[in-house]
Amino acid sequence: MTVQFGYPENREAGSAARVRALEALLIEKGVITGATVDKVLGYFETDMTPLNGARIVARAWTDPEFAGRLVKDTPAAVAELDLPVGMDGAEGEHLMAVANAPGVHNLVICTLCSCFPWPVLGLPPYWYKDPTFRARAAREPRVVLKEIGLDLDPSVELRVWDSSGHSRWFVVPSRPAGTEGMCEEELAALVTTESMIGIAEVPAPAA
Amino acid sequence: MKLQHHLGGLENLGPVDYEPRVFVEDWEQRIFGIHVAMMGLSTHLGDAGPQYPIDEVPTAFSSTWTWADLRKGAEAMNPFAYFQFRYYEKWLGGISGYFVSQGYVSEEELEAKAAEFLQDPALALPDGGDERIDDQVIRYLRGGDSPRQGPAESPAFAVGDRVTVKDVPPTDHTRLPGNLRGRTGTVERVFEGNYAYFCSTGPDGIGEPMPVYIVRFEPTEIWGELAEPGAVLYGEIYQAYLTPATEEQQ
Repeated sequence: MTVQFGYPENREAGSAARVRALEALLIEKGVITGATVDKVLGYFETDMTPLNGARIVARAWTDPEFAGRLVKDTPAAVAELDLPVGMDGAEGEHLMAVANAPGVHNLVICTLCSCFPWPVLGLPPYWYKDPTFRARAAREPRVVLKEIGLDLDPSVELRVWDSSGHSRWFVVPSRPAGTEGMCEEELAALVTTESMIGIAEVPAPAA
Repeated sequence: MKLQHHLGGLENLGPVDYEPRVFVEDWEQRIFGIHVAMMGLSTHLGDAGPQYPIDEVPTAFSSTWTWADLRKGAEAMNPFAYFQFRYYEKWLGGISGYFVSQGYVSEEELEAKAAEFLQDPALALPDGGDERIDDQVIRYLRGGDSPRQGPAESPAFAVGDRVTVKDVPPTDHTRLPGNLRGRTGTVERVFEGNYAYFCSTGPDGIGEPMPVYIVRFEPTEIWGELAEPGAVLYGEIYQAYLTPATEEQQ
């Protein structure tokens, strides 16, 4: 029998060598420069990070009028904040915020690939891109969330957004209890990427 | 049909591998960076929403490369291999294959060079190059590539309309989640403007600017008894994929 499911020898070392060879040849041939890939990666470390999303959420928690504008016209509301240039850049051209509320929980998925709002959430974690998550979260989102650690009450309506068009969705999670006296910066530090995709709630701060 | 187009709702997959990292091997970052550079240097950006001075960028890259090209590669894979290989392994296969098929590099020189790096992983990459290439890539990251064009010319459907998703002919690439084919839902939102796609998908029907809708589906309409109570599914669907619901589907 032929081996259908074997992996190549040196699976990781082989891929590492092949991608390095490709990058070297593209530099030699003038497609990219010796600095291009590092500059791209650096950009995602400094400009397109989940901290942007966290700051948007923190503002929504402290300013109900902003929260209203954010779900009505997300790009315009995001542009009000002092965030790095490029929130409407690559994979942020058409941001869409959906807000959790008592009785409503939102979950963002992409069953066809891995669409993700880069400028506000950074790059997607592996589980989001995993075919198992993509397949199961469409039909049995509650079971998947429970496995990951979020047990939603049966009375909560779970809204699942499949990113098959131009919009790039993110979730405004609910503000946790015990944060009444906190400032925007302190609140932003509580917000996780997972909560802005919808697989978790923002945990209450440690007492 | 391709399994890759019908992932939503597939059964018996077992637990999700909850891996929170973005990259699980260092080399994955490099192929991601190459892909972003290709998108930022793509010739089509000269005509994109924010007009880029793409003709003035001194790169040897003279092709169109968008998400559609990357997705086509993954959708063209043997479905068993699609599940077998990690996310960035698929990218590496698709992107290196593209550069070979377009004649930028030959498979022989790629293999020879890879053998050198396999022998000595610490071997340095070449340096240098024209900074204007990097500037364009970052300009693209900041400016994006919006598919929106002009106001929608009388969209065919309005909020509240019942619509049925067409069962369009299968093609090499689609933006229609397979689990929605033939299903009926309710228009929840009509986006302002028309939305193009990076390429024509042929008989699948998208590419030219057209209205796009958010359609709300009841999970029981899609999965019957296997549906999970208390959930709703929203799809973002191009007009070409929709038809008015028949009377019995109202």
